[in-house]
Amino acid sequence: MSAGTSSTVGEQPAGQPCYADAASYSPARIVAHTKIADNTWRLRLDCPAIASTAIPGQFAMVRIPHRSDPLLARPLAVYDTFADASGEAGEAPLRRYADFIYAVHGRFTTALREVPVGHELIAWGPLGNGFQIPAVEHLVLVAGGIGQTALLGLGRERLGQAAYGPASRLQPPRSGRVTCCWGARHAGLFGGIEDYRSAGIDVHQATLDGSAGLRGTVVDLLDSLFDQPGAVPPAAHTRRLHIACCGPDPMMAAVARWAAARQISCDVSLEAPMACGIGICFTCVARVRDDSGSWDYRRTCIEGPVFDATRIEW
Amino acid sequence: MPPPESVVPSPAMATPQPASPAIPLTVSLGRLRLPNPIMVASGTFGYGREMSGFVDLARLGGVVPKTITPLPRPGNTPWRTVETAAGLLNSIGLDNDGIDSFLARQLPFLVRCGAPVIVSIAGGSQADFVALASRLDGVPGIAALELNISCPNVSHGIDMGTDPVACRGVVEGVRSVTALPILAKLTPNVTSIVEIARAAKDGGADAVTLINTCQGMAVDWRRRRPLLGNVIGGLSGPAIKPIALRCVHQVRQAVDIPIVGVGGIMTIDDCMEFFVTGASAVQIGTANFAEPIASARLLDGLPAALAELGATGMADVIGTLAVPQRAPCPPATPPSGSSPHAT
Repeated sequence: MSAGTSSTVGEQPAGQPCYADAASYSPARIVAHTKIADNTWRLRLDCPAIASTAIPGQFAMVRIPHRSDPLLARPLAVYDTFADASGEAGEAPLRRYADFIYAVHGRFTTALREVPVGHELIAWGPLGNGFQIPAVEHLVLVAGGIGQTALLGLGRERLGQAAYGPASRLQPPRSGRVTCCWGARHAGLFGGIEDYRSAGIDVHQATLDGSAGLRGTVVDLLDSLFDQPGAVPPAAHTRRLHIACCGPDPMMAAVARWAAARQISCDVSLEAPMACGIGICFTCVARVRDDSGSWDYRRTCIEGPVFDATRIEW
Repeated sequence: MPPPESVVPSPAMATPQPASPAIPLTVSLGRLRLPNPIMVASGTFGYGREMSGFVDLARLGGVVPKTITPLPRPGNTPWRTVETAAGLLNSIGLDNDGIDSFLARQLPFLVRCGAPVIVSIAGGSQADFVALASRLDGVPGIAALELNISCPNVSHGIDMGTDPVACRGVVEGVRSVTALPILAKLTPNVTSIVEIARAAKDGGADAVTLINTCQGMAVDWRRRRPLLGNVIGGLSGPAIKPIALRCVHQVRQAVDIPIVGVGGIMTIDDCMEFFVTGASAVQIGTANFAEPIASARLLDGLPAALAELGATGMADVIGTLAVPQRAPCPPATPPSGSSPHAT
């Protein structure tokens, strides 16, 4: 299959593996590598096969070549894609640069931070199913920690600001709203928040220490935005709202419970550790329920990373 | 997406390089003849379907899909892998959907791909192994069986891989129900791998696969917790290559049985080290995770490496290690006044 014909990526029936048949494996030169928040870096790679086809919620495996320590690649969500290295978006098929955002917290990211512009990494992707485009009036992106990296494209796409992936995914701009509820430990961790704001996304912050936005969690933020007297009554949420969520497991579990209690549809993009990203190692499993309600470990790399939150046994 | 059974070429697929016609790459593992000695290891290549966008499976010397068991197994609690220094610690726990699902959903694709399929089986008892082998005997498209009597992440497997009597019993039992060639995959977590390899040979194995992972552990000291959900796992990757080479060497010197070398192979130099030490073929494992096209790349590099040794075939390389005779320790002699080291 050629990369341009993967028209059903992001529209996989639940439980159907999304094999990496359309993935590209190639060197990817670093064209920009900058610190954007505390402990948080933005990496721009020259990787046309990934940038021209990736849809929001998909990821790439990125490896530092010629090293046995760190040995393996890491999964990084495709944050945004561009036709020009300076950041001009351009038409989707012409895009050749992809941005990735990562937080430094382990042996790989510590080493990656030191690789300068001009050097080559190895990248394979795009991988995973990605988000479907929700048909509701009001899309709510809920991010925890570094989880915003999987969500920006979906918001931009929904507002008609950008198009990603194959032509079949192109959507006419629609009226509607995109709200982002973003929780982090403190105010220094909101890397890329200006991208959300400049896209016209209504951003609300929560911090555990109260240094930015609401003091508390994203669930507290959801409560304050949607459950206050005078806000949209809960019964109307079901039809109008859709949540797309990415962050640490406990946070996603809490958001999933919040959504389920209000009968709001919710997709989660799981952040499971991965060794291969393509379905061969069985590392990244999550407990996913089938129609009968019983769960089995499923590979988040090729059956996700995006799942209907009601399918996850947290 | 295409239907799962279709073989799809992909832009990501490594460009096939015709092997040098001057150097045939075929090797034999007992009665099993392979088109070349570059195989892929069980548990590191999925069921083949996952990799068909990266590697033309038909080129490989052999594909060993993920181990199957009689019944579905959910596998172990995450975390299931942890990267360590130049290595990967895993405790997947033989997560698989069982033999029925394998035969119905996975094997047909593999067979159509054209590479020799060596089916890896495991069970909790000798009877399980025999039952699996009996089911697989006569199934079209299966070239051989690999007995996973060495998985460190399920309690019984490693017992059969550490006790020579149990090892011989399993191999004999399987031998009695199938004419398929048998590879016995052994664990390095034993005092004498030679003893276990000899038992496998005596039981009727055509070859031994050396080695499965080395038992290991990783700890988060700040949280005072093990990192793996199963606490202990198996170490693979470059970190264990010297252990694997040592095992291949010891068995090669002591037991007359073909060897498949596996453990930390990342480069063509690694492959050649195993061949020279005594492996007739190699399996690429953890490298598939780090570089999905690794097996194809190593196959591309093989003719040039053979030519560098002036080889006209794999037989000119396999087991040609020049082992120095280790001189016995000289008897103790009385101190001599002429020695500069005399005291």
